[in-house]
Amino acid sequence: MKPILECKALSKRFGNVLALDTVELSIEPGRVVGLLGPNGSGKTTLIKLANGLLTPSSGEILIAGQKPGPNSKSIVSYLPDRPYLADWMNVRQLMDFFADFYGDFRCDKAREMLARLGIEENMRIKQMSKGTREKVQLILVMSREAGLYLLDEPIGGVDPATRDYILDTIIRNYNPEAAVILSTHLIADVEQVLDDVIFINRGRIVLQSSVDDIRAEHGTSVDGYFREVFKC
Amino acid sequence: MDWTFRSDLPIYSQLVDKIKLGIISGGLAPGERLASVRDLAMEAGVNPNTMQRALQELEREGLVFSQRTSGRFVTEDVREIERAKRAVADERLRDFLGAMEKLGYSRGGILALLKEKEEQDEADTGV
Amino acid sequence: MLGKLLKHEFRATGRIMLPVFGVLLILSMLFNVSVRLSGKIDFPLLRIFFGLVGVAFVVGIIAAELLSLILMIYRFYRNMLGDEGYLMFTLPTDVHALVWSKLIVSFVWLLLTNLLILLIMFFTAFSFSQTGLQEVFRQLPSWAETRQMLAELGISVGMLTGLALEGLLILLLAGLTVCLHFYASMSLGHMFSRRKILWSVLFFVGISFTFRFLLSGLFLLLIPALDQGRLQVLFTDGAGLTDIIRVMMLIMGAGGLVSLAESVILYLATTLSLQKRLNLA
Repeated sequence: MKPILECKALSKRFGNVLALDTVELSIEPGRVVGLLGPNGSGKTTLIKLANGLLTPSSGEILIAGQKPGPNSKSIVSYLPDRPYLADWMNVRQLMDFFADFYGDFRCDKAREMLARLGIEENMRIKQMSKGTREKVQLILVMSREAGLYLLDEPIGGVDPATRDYILDTIIRNYNPEAAVILSTHLIADVEQVLDDVIFINRGRIVLQSSVDDIRAEHGTSVDGYFREVFKC
Repeated sequence: MDWTFRSDLPIYSQLVDKIKLGIISGGLAPGERLASVRDLAMEAGVNPNTMQRALQELEREGLVFSQRTSGRFVTEDVREIERAKRAVADERLRDFLGAMEKLGYSRGGILALLKEKEEQDEADTGV
Repeated sequence: MLGKLLKHEFRATGRIMLPVFGVLLILSMLFNVSVRLSGKIDFPLLRIFFGLVGVAFVVGIIAAELLSLILMIYRFYRNMLGDEGYLMFTLPTDVHALVWSKLIVSFVWLLLTNLLILLIMFFTAFSFSQTGLQEVFRQLPSWAETRQMLAELGISVGMLTGLALEGLLILLLAGLTVCLHFYASMSLGHMFSRRKILWSVLFFVGISFTFRFLLSGLFLLLIPALDQGRLQVLFTDGAGLTDIIRVMMLIMGAGGLVSLAESVILYLATTLSLQKRLNLA
């Protein structure tokens, strides 16, 4: 099957800083991939390159064989690590917005998830607690039937129950024709949900393997192995 | 079913063990229809691909079979289940004996302990 | 895609501008009423009240004007360059549609605000003059009279309308240029990682100076080029009104072309910097 995300000698430079250094990557549909690395390792940069918010300094990044652009953006569903929705809008308006711009947005799916959490459709973003807002953002992103889901630090800074909800939602929305890339530094919590992991450090890919292979080869969890690899 | 996992073993093999245990103990009855891969994965809190791999392994071992349109089922072959039960039991026995030997008990000593335990349990239920 | 962006943009800005228009209309009505009443009633306390209404009215007009400008700037900054940019720039659309949606909507609000204010002042003038609308129209010269007046001066109706239209076009173009001036400054300033606002202000000032400078320079170059002896006419004795109008149209045209060029350059600066150097926090 054609990879949904490919990086070929991808580099990104900010002034003097080399955020990504000749990254080679290939991710197949149907995989849930963890992008793991310390802060500042280049995780967010890679994700931003994939969703078109940044342009490469050199090399290539392809989404389903295309360069990032309006076409690729229509099949990529992105959850940033910050509040990015207009806070004057309410849930219904946001659903209309998403449905308007994204043909793959499933309103019924979103409605169901919101109802299950007891989130009213006329609630405005600015009235919501941080946790509720993050759940709404996740629901909107996961209600799209996209080819590539990019989740930037989806579980950092939320309570454990919300964390479980987020991981459950990722499993529940699993689609063998789509790939999920989630970046995090909270590895132990997400290991069970991941197929593959990518270790990234200082802009370089250090390791790309499956969770089960790491456990089988090293007799330790991915979290444990990560600590070994990234020991200061 | 208990879905807590050890962190040092591959998840799929732990899934195989847990589902196998369910079948052996009768929690999953012979011929019973299993939930879909996605539902099982959700229940277990694991990646659907991993669950799929585990179920495929169980198919290979003959404890589970799949019918294209109807889904996956526990085998109806009771002998197969018995065989698996015996295999797991043997493994547990080996582990047990190994652990007891480490404590310094001989085979005779272990048998004596077991007999003592049995008599004590009978006395307890009598009272 | 542009249509959807426009819809969303109008919704987001309308929720601020429409109430402002509402308040302005209410203030103008209050003012009109108070002007009519103050002629008939003479109660000291009421006078003070009417005075306040008058002040509020003037403040309201100024505020509405300022608000339409500030909203234009703030909306672009917040929606494109702030956290909302994460949403906008990952929509399946290109940077041109995004910029045009902002441009068109800002322009429309600037236009509407000014039209509304003009209308309000027109009707307020009525209140003061205390003559009815019909009276005014009766006093206006008829169509035939107007044409005769113009003929005596040597101008055709067509020429006058041409001048008016050109003036209107230039005004509209100026509105567009103002918006782009701000957008380009913000987009360029945002390319830097630190002190983005400082850079934006610097770009704004820089762009102002550059284009005023270029405007003067190009003006001096363009006029002779388009001249064809028309300007000479001004210095001869036989210069008629027609000739003067022609020269005015010439000068305005030159200014318009420069303004157009400025808009194009600023548009490119905006879109290119957003496309290549987007640097969301």
